[in-house]
Amino acid sequence: MDYASPPIALIAVGLAMAAGVYLIAVLDRSIAVLVGAGRWTWRGAIVGPIRSAALLLVQRRRTTERPDSPGWTLAPALLTGLAAVALAMVPIGPDMAAADPSTGFVVFSAAIVFVMIAVFLHGWSPNSALAMHGAYRFGAQALSFQIPFLLAMLATALPAESLSIVDIVDAQEPLWNVVRQPLGLPLYLVVGVAVSFWGPLNLPDASDLAGGTSVEDSGVARLLWKSARAAMLVAVAAMGAAGFLGGWWGPWLPGPVWMVIKAVALLTLLLVAGHLLPRVRIQRFVVIAWVILIPLALVNIFVSGALLL
Amino acid sequence: MSGGLLVDVIFWLFAAGALVTGYRVFRTDSMVRAAFYLLASFAAVGGILVLLGAEFVGMVLILMMAGEMLIMAIVMVMYMMNPAGLNPMWMVHQHRVAVAAGVLAFAVLAAPVLLVDFPDRPNPAPEEATAQLGEELLGDSMLVFQTAGVGLLSTMIGVVVLASRRGRYGEADEGSSEPSLELQDAESR
Amino acid sequence: MGVRDALAHLAGGAVAPVFAVAGGGAREAVAELALSPSVELVDSPAAASVLLVAGFLPSDLHTPLAALHDAMPDPRCTVSWPLGSDHGSMPLSSSRLRIGPDDEPVQAVTRAYRALLSGVVATEPPIQPDVDPNPWRGVGPYGQGGRGMTGGTPYGRPMAELGPDRDGLRLDVLPLSIGPFFPRFPAGLILDVVMAGDLVIEGRVADSPFGGGEWRPPVGPFVRALSEPVPVAEIELARARQHLRWASDALITQGLPAFAMRVRRLAVTLTPGHASSVRALSRRLRLLRVPQWSGAGVGRIAPELLTGLALGPVSRAAGLGEDARAADPAYAELGFEPIVARDGDAAARWDVRLAEAAQSLELAARARGQRTGGVGIVEGPRGRLGPDDSPFQRLQSLLPDLLAGLEWGDAVTALASLDLDPEEAGTVAARPSRAEAA
Repeated sequence: MDYASPPIALIAVGLAMAAGVYLIAVLDRSIAVLVGAGRWTWRGAIVGPIRSAALLLVQRRRTTERPDSPGWTLAPALLTGLAAVALAMVPIGPDMAAADPSTGFVVFSAAIVFVMIAVFLHGWSPNSALAMHGAYRFGAQALSFQIPFLLAMLATALPAESLSIVDIVDAQEPLWNVVRQPLGLPLYLVVGVAVSFWGPLNLPDASDLAGGTSVEDSGVARLLWKSARAAMLVAVAAMGAAGFLGGWWGPWLPGPVWMVIKAVALLTLLLVAGHLLPRVRIQRFVVIAWVILIPLALVNIFVSGALLL
Repeated sequence: MSGGLLVDVIFWLFAAGALVTGYRVFRTDSMVRAAFYLLASFAAVGGILVLLGAEFVGMVLILMMAGEMLIMAIVMVMYMMNPAGLNPMWMVHQHRVAVAAGVLAFAVLAAPVLLVDFPDRPNPAPEEATAQLGEELLGDSMLVFQTAGVGLLSTMIGVVVLASRRGRYGEADEGSSEPSLELQDAESR
Repeated sequence: MGVRDALAHLAGGAVAPVFAVAGGGAREAVAELALSPSVELVDSPAAASVLLVAGFLPSDLHTPLAALHDAMPDPRCTVSWPLGSDHGSMPLSSSRLRIGPDDEPVQAVTRAYRALLSGVVATEPPIQPDVDPNPWRGVGPYGQGGRGMTGGTPYGRPMAELGPDRDGLRLDVLPLSIGPFFPRFPAGLILDVVMAGDLVIEGRVADSPFGGGEWRPPVGPFVRALSEPVPVAEIELARARQHLRWASDALITQGLPAFAMRVRRLAVTLTPGHASSVRALSRRLRLLRVPQWSGAGVGRIAPELLTGLALGPVSRAAGLGEDARAADPAYAELGFEPIVARDGDAAARWDVRLAEAAQSLELAARARGQRTGGVGIVEGPRGRLGPDDSPFQRLQSLLPDLLAGLEWGDAVTALASLDLDPEEAGTVAARPSRAEAA
């Protein structure tokens, strides 16, 4: 299997992230307008995100009293980097991947787990009570979803007998994982929403904290954080398509096109869920993660393992 | 793993990063920064492990350290009166002894690295990392990992039981009285 | 044209981010403003370019408003919208950017925003001086010492102090003051909390700043009904509208801003024929688990504490059938029965309010010119209103016990479910009642 050379890989992942972030902006606005019974316009949906980004670039950054400035600047950059690493692990075609280490699954998991550092830094640095509260909430949320996440994804490695993502997708040629491990995709989606703190699990940037960790963000910092969050959601959706929906396998169309279609389908599902499901209480989520999701993930692994033996 | 100049440059960057961030852990006033500097140091070491061909260990190191350092940061904020260093305060105790101990430990650990004549037997890069891991975990090292796993699990259960509200003598906040902390009288130490 | 000018030109057509302060008499108008696609009401001044000051703001709130204004990033401007008060009394009012009675509010706001970005209107300088409110006054070579371990109040913010915790471990507590312009609370609501981690240890809501007598509030149908008979159809339609406006705000609190706009659109175009739409909305919200996930078991007040307080939907959700309309012959003619639920938590209050909104619309449709009121008390959307007697004032004393021990998200949900309205305290304070005059 060929690796792409580092510059090409960087450019490809960067372009994929930019396209994904823009797509999320367009889709999110459109879904919000539809759910809100408003009037959808081409200009509003397609050009609107670009204009809003321009406004954020024009706004000057404001600061707070005694912030942790290096940390505040580092947080969105770190989250973007982690999203890039996670997205780089997702293969697009049978011979097309930005990187395919033999333990690709572990690299992806490390990137996912590191997200909590970025969010905690983002909430700690502004020296603001509401932001700090959001960071603590995400600490609880992140520590709770880690184990279900690892277990849910680990089940996909069983049929592949390998930790490499390309092998995991290859092993889905006869049957997609969503069919032979029915618990896997719902679990992964719940945890994916938790790690990208979107919609019902948007606890760190919640509206009851007036924006949570982003309450003091303005200008470029706000734009970078929103883009980083969207990039993380793209990575989660792409990995879900690769790990559970069969990646590039599909009739008639070439592999990469199927990959994009499946990733966009998962993305749309997550965005719609974000606009229709209310936010879950943090105490309830922690209890569910430890008491319900871990046993379900373990059952998923046992059943998959039993079927393979 | 051969790769010439690029690999060497990356190695030296990671090594320098690990040392510098490790030093900064002790020179910063902010406890959260201290925890995250330590995390950066560990992440650099994880990167070096990946360069040595031990991808799994390197990545798992980064994965585990993220969670651990976050917990450490939160615990430090919980215990310290001045966790962000917002308030000028002398944060270290017995610093001369600590510096001496650190330098001595570094010398003791660095001496073998510099003075010992390591054998030159390059290992081939592992091809089937997962398969080799599986054979090791469920083959030669099974006893180690199973006992370690069960030991960790029982420790976790024990910690949860200790931290939970109910003790042998009933609820934790009935009957027992915690020692009073008369901090109003204590001045700066 | 440099890059910055090009970006500013592009940004001029964006959705205007507005931080809206809805003072006395302005809540409905500002809520309707949010429906426009060219305006977005943001949660934090750090995200806003335009500060919209609408309605009446008591003088107590002028300093927090100045702090809010200074928290906005450049470029920023303020648009004032008196809505009945005069321009001169409005804080931060400039002669250029105001919305008069003949102006269309959305267009005025977007015009101001575009003028700001194109440079026609200059960005406003900060109002408060950029001076450290509490300069460090340490003692000793490292600044330590002084009084206590911390040497005073560094940088104006209190350090966390020790306080008793629920399970015997003493943890640091942080006193905070949330408000008066917290976006999830009505303007003027100041919540003083002491937090340990994410738990509220003590919580207290300050008295309504609107009751000072500075305000001449507009007279709505409920306040009018205190002194003279008002048509039932009008009062019930107003009640349904208020309940739907509450539902829209509560949906934003629960993280569903898009769905909240749908509810708000319904509230703005509400007619008595929409009763079935409201019932369908209530079913849809139950299906999406909105009341259950956020409110099941949260914010429960025991019925014993609520007896006699006549707190409207809050009392009725706890099982008490207190409703001033039950004693009114006009309503008895229309076959009115108070809607009562059992649980008394935030989810039950959702159900009761939406069911009452549907019931009000059906009553308004059935009404044939019946009139109610003029007896000195009236059943408002939030409870019994009387001369100088509003549900907000009666509810204040229950809040400390309710908030103690709640996690912050639950505390916000509980307060949102109570539909606190400090403005209402001001509207009844200003009105003499007919019983008084008689």
